[in-house]
Amino acid sequence: MSTPAPRVQVPSAAAKGEVFQIRTLISHQMETGLRRDDQGDVIPRKIINRFVCRYNDVIVFGIDLHEAVAANPYVEFYLRATESGRLEFTWEEDGGHTYALTHQLTVG
Amino acid sequence: MEKASPLGFSRRAVLSAAVAGSAGFASAALASTPTPSDDAAKVVEQLTGKTAIASDRLHLVMPQVFPNGYTVPLTLVIDSPMTEANHVRLVSVLAPRNPLVEVAVFHFVPQRSEPRVSTRIRLAEPQYVLAVAEMNDGTLLMTETWVEVATNGCR
Repeated sequence: MSTPAPRVQVPSAAAKGEVFQIRTLISHQMETGLRRDDQGDVIPRKIINRFVCRYNDVIVFGIDLHEAVAANPYVEFYLRATESGRLEFTWEEDGGHTYALTHQLTVG
Repeated sequence: MEKASPLGFSRRAVLSAAVAGSAGFASAALASTPTPSDDAAKVVEQLTGKTAIASDRLHLVMPQVFPNGYTVPLTLVIDSPMTEANHVRLVSVLAPRNPLVEVAVFHFVPQRSEPRVSTRIRLAEPQYVLAVAEMNDGTLLMTETWVEVATNGCR
């Protein structure tokens, strides 16, 4: 499996009070733990189990993901522009590894 | 003069029963929200210990028929002003006929995120997919939508 690569699509600027769209994708197998390999052994579960979006260090949106979220989890959600600052996106994987991206947003 | 059918029902009785049956089916199909089946209510009660109220404030938008159970699109929209006094805290999506029922839980924040999200999920077989929303006052609202998949997305 290749290294999970997160991607986000966010506008670089928004008007104060405006609702803007965020699209995120992370390439990830989302191994459910329900499958068996050729030897009949269970392939251990390894999924992205949590996604969090922080806006200037405040959590503004989050997801608990279970096994039934499709591979390469895609999420589209909407935030309200309050002030200029940093958006931080974090994906947490089983076993504790995290993947993160940040984005600078200018609110005029 | 009515002629008795071999099973002992009159032709008229059978026909009127068939009409009544299809009418009932049609009205159930049209009223996609909010009419949770008893099964759905039971699943929610087992998982949360609380009773959810069917609500047309929840919109769970999914294709009625989709070929690929591995990646079924899902959009969730909740009618909520998202003020401190009146907002949706979280929405849980459940697929009762999947080997693992819980699909995802979406957490929203008043005045910061809009109660609207899209993603893709796996479904093992044709089933009602449920959405249960927890509002800020603790009440549970729910809705369900029928999705028919052709392939098992959980293998």
